[in-house]
Amino acid sequence: MATLANYLIVSGLLFSVGLAGVLLRRNILIIFMGLELMLNAANLSLVAFSRFNLGQDGFPDYNAQVFVFFVITVAAAEVAVGLAIIVALYRARQTTHVEDLDTLKF
Amino acid sequence: MIPAIALEIFVVCLGIFLLMADAFQEKLDKRAIAWGGIIGLAAVFALTFFVRADGSAFGGFYLNDPLAILFKRFALGAGIVTLVLSLEYAPVLECQIPGSKPGAGLGEFFILPVFTCVGLMWMASAADFVMIFCALELVTISFYIQVAYARKNVASLEAGTKYLILGALSTGFLVYGITWIFGMTGQTSLRGISIVLGMVPEASQTALLFGLGLVLVSIGFKIGAAPFQFWVPDVYQGAPTPVTAFLSVGSKAAGFVVLIRVIEPFLIASAIAAKLVAALAFLAGLTLIYGNLAAMPQTNLKRLLGYSSIAHAGYLLIGVASVGAPFAGRAVVFYLIAYFLMTFLAFLVLVPVAAASGGDEISHFNGLGRRAPGLAFGMLISMLSLAGLPFTVGFLGKFFIFEVAMRQGHFVLVILGIVTVACGFYYYLKVVRAMFWQPAPEDAPPITVSGLTRFAVAFLAALILILGIYPAPILQFLL
Repeated sequence: MATLANYLIVSGLLFSVGLAGVLLRRNILIIFMGLELMLNAANLSLVAFSRFNLGQDGFPDYNAQVFVFFVITVAAAEVAVGLAIIVALYRARQTTHVEDLDTLKF
Repeated sequence: MIPAIALEIFVVCLGIFLLMADAFQEKLDKRAIAWGGIIGLAAVFALTFFVRADGSAFGGFYLNDPLAILFKRFALGAGIVTLVLSLEYAPVLECQIPGSKPGAGLGEFFILPVFTCVGLMWMASAADFVMIFCALELVTISFYIQVAYARKNVASLEAGTKYLILGALSTGFLVYGITWIFGMTGQTSLRGISIVLGMVPEASQTALLFGLGLVLVSIGFKIGAAPFQFWVPDVYQGAPTPVTAFLSVGSKAAGFVVLIRVIEPFLIASAIAAKLVAALAFLAGLTLIYGNLAAMPQTNLKRLLGYSSIAHAGYLLIGVASVGAPFAGRAVVFYLIAYFLMTFLAFLVLVPVAAASGGDEISHFNGLGRRAPGLAFGMLISMLSLAGLPFTVGFLGKFFIFEVAMRQGHFVLVILGIVTVACGFYYYLKVVRAMFWQPAPEDAPPITVSGLTRFAVAFLAALILILGIYPAPILQFLL
């Protein structure tokens, strides 16, 4: 039987993998995948916390589970806008590498 | 009397109406959309005076106190000034967006600020982490589009990409932090959290501090506090100028409202409160030093204003770190209003000057005192107020902040603040020097300004001087 700690460790790992992807990878699309991974890590631990901390009536706290749906929806909106910006950037610069984004250095 | 929630509903309806008008009235002059937005937002602004500041709605999700009302007005004002700026900026933008016919794609540029405005208004009332998250994302996602709006301009696209990645990163931190706060308290509403923390002040502190720390990191990104400030200069320089102005005022104010709301429940547990204040004071000091020192060598005015906005975030953080002093909340709010006035004034002058001279370097302001005395005078007031000269609203803002900091015993921060104000005089007066002491280039083109912008410059400049001498109306409102 998986315990709360198991879920939290997996979610922590997911978050770290996502953060490492954002910080270490140089391709914007991969960075974007890392960002989505971080959000999903948060979703996993939200559901785990909600499921394991039952209220006095024996039901989980549904606020957190509804929050997960909000996070999923907002993440979808973010991806829609984000990919559009990345496509526009690719058309202008023919690249998706962060090192090539050097117009704004002083 | 109308319920407060109606204000947001009106603004959403206004945005959708303008969007429909833009889509189906092809012959409509796009400028009419901006005028519609300005008039609509002004009407909602007038309606805020008929709202009762009491109670909450949606089962505690929506809070309606004087602070919320004031920030709704703040957001509406910011939206109106941004639309004025956008109108002035439209000819420049038209060359930077692909389109088969003149004016194509301008409509959305005038409509997106309206939706951002709704997000800001909603955030002022959000009393639950779910609502805070949604409102913050509404603001952030609409800003992504606006920053990257000039699609033929590589700088704008790059700024948009940078803002997108760092904004999404801060969202990740925010959600993960909220998760841990929820896990430790079993609550998502700020009120619920404060009740739980009041009952069990020792409840598993490490995990709670971890969650709170992540939320603080995320808010630090939004307000541009060091060491999370690195996106600010690039994004401010690359974004279309009206968006830069909206970003520096609206996004920053939103971050501070969320910060004020979020830290409130955690101050109940004294062990957490001490660590929280220490962290805020540390951030404030770091932000002050970084913002002011990095601003000094800048030659681009938009970039300079970016660093200056980091520096102002530092002064505001001193005020937040002085929480507990009876006047602290009002000092922060007053500073935000001062920042609103002087930053928008600077951008209102910057847009026509940059459009006429073809760039926003400080050297493009050479001889502005002769070329356009009215605009130069507006910029002078804005720069003096940003620097904090007495008899301007910027001075009183800093004065109130330092006063509450003294009361809470943050002497190091006050000394740091006063030293960095001196740095500020150097780089703000560089602009004044260019305007009045440098000769204008021989071929300097004439600067044309619309009547609306002229009025806005005069209005903001007058408010800076009046509130700098007689600040009582704002201070009394928040009693």
